[in-house]
Amino acid sequence: MGSVSRLLADYGPAFGQALFLTWKLTVVSFVPGFLLGMVVTVLRLFPLRPLRFFLTGYVEIFRNIPSAALLIFIVFALPDLQVLIDYEPAVILTLTLVCSAFTADYLRSGINTIDDGQIEAALSLGMRPMRIISAVVLPQALRAVVQPMTSLLIALMLSTSLASQVPFPGRELTALVSKIANDSAAGMAAFAVAAAMYVATGLLIAWAGATLEKKVRILR
Amino acid sequence: MSRPLEDILFGAPSPQAQTVIRVVSVIAAAVLLLLAAGIVFRFHSAGQLDARFWEFFAWPTTWAFLGRGLLGTLASAAMAAVIALALGLVLLVGRLARPRLVRWPSIAVIEFLRGTPTLLLIYVCFLVLPSVGMKLSTYWMLTLPIGLSTAAVVAEVYRAGVLAVPRGQTDAARSLGLTEAQVFFFVVFPQALRYIVPALVAQLVIVVKDTTFGYVVTYGELMQNAKVLIANYHSLVPVYLVVAALYCLVNYAISRASKRLGRPMH
Repeated sequence: MGSVSRLLADYGPAFGQALFLTWKLTVVSFVPGFLLGMVVTVLRLFPLRPLRFFLTGYVEIFRNIPSAALLIFIVFALPDLQVLIDYEPAVILTLTLVCSAFTADYLRSGINTIDDGQIEAALSLGMRPMRIISAVVLPQALRAVVQPMTSLLIALMLSTSLASQVPFPGRELTALVSKIANDSAAGMAAFAVAAAMYVATGLLIAWAGATLEKKVRILR
Repeated sequence: MSRPLEDILFGAPSPQAQTVIRVVSVIAAAVLLLLAAGIVFRFHSAGQLDARFWEFFAWPTTWAFLGRGLLGTLASAAMAAVIALALGLVLLVGRLARPRLVRWPSIAVIEFLRGTPTLLLIYVCFLVLPSVGMKLSTYWMLTLPIGLSTAAVVAEVYRAGVLAVPRGQTDAARSLGLTEAQVFFFVVFPQALRYIVPALVAQLVIVVKDTTFGYVVTYGELMQNAKVLIANYHSLVPVYLVVAALYCLVNYAISRASKRLGRPMH
């Protein structure tokens, strides 16, 4: 315990900043990732074969590629194609792409829980397909995916540790731990503090997700 | 469900609507082709289509080297999966145990391993453990953290399966005079496994993805071998593209297998 208090005396503010950066990276990649995933899901519903083909490929690629490989490609290979993306946007882009693919995948299974009859009923009421998507399909799909989206958000939060793999401006929790472990003998204590911060954040997200789930659950 | 929902949404369009769909499809295809052409042109203008960046892919030695990397990936992933499946069972039994002295520490271990980034655990094995006199091989520096963090997830997957087994099964087994351990290992757990095989296989994809961090500890897996190839041929884009495609293919195959396995269960 003594080593932890000494560590916090030395690196306390750094841990605060690192935790905040971890949270920030999580939010700024989850929000666009989620919205992009929703757009992909809706576009995949349209009867346009080439577009569907392309979007299926998009989802499968970004669902199956390791995030670390994607980040390294964006940061180190794209400059060879004269596409220069700074380190911070590169991390956010990586996480956003991966998040969008998983969102699209989960929303798709959320859509599959909707009974055909509802769509037929809406059509027979004279609703246009776009209106059905926005008023019947999406609200139900979104309510059905709260739980998987919570897990995805936690996974994304843990994935922000990827930022430690590039010369990121500022240090998030994992980068801070590896720096402390390199500089001093306080590695174990630093690890314990960072792990506690990650776990607490994850539990917080899980709790918020469970609360939301209870509110919006559809009883069938 | 009888028909995919999108077929009902836009089902049986009028001839007029069909024309619109066809025209928009052609436009979409044209835009996508243009995009593809733009990418190829970007490759060309950046000189990335030069033969010297690609020709070594025609050599069997290149593929042998990448193949060894892939084997390294699979060796690490397989061992991590074995650790996860076995330790996950131990954690599950602890998690379900009645005495609080067993249950609470199990919950703490699960939440800790599940809630910590695998990369952070790798750094602990790589940077911290040697400073307290524990030196692991690069294989274990990569495999152990992945196995540990996956074990916690697997324990929760197991638990979901166990909770899905109807209570009557437990009651019936108890009334037959089986001990608690027999009830769990002969009646409940085998049935729970059937529910969760797809989720377990899906977990394999995550294990394979996590082995990408092998380059952090210089363990010879696919990503690390890719780095070596790049150092030899100065060919970043092609090598990373090929390696990314390999990862996608392996993981796509695993996800497909999990869907296949999942089907007869429901």
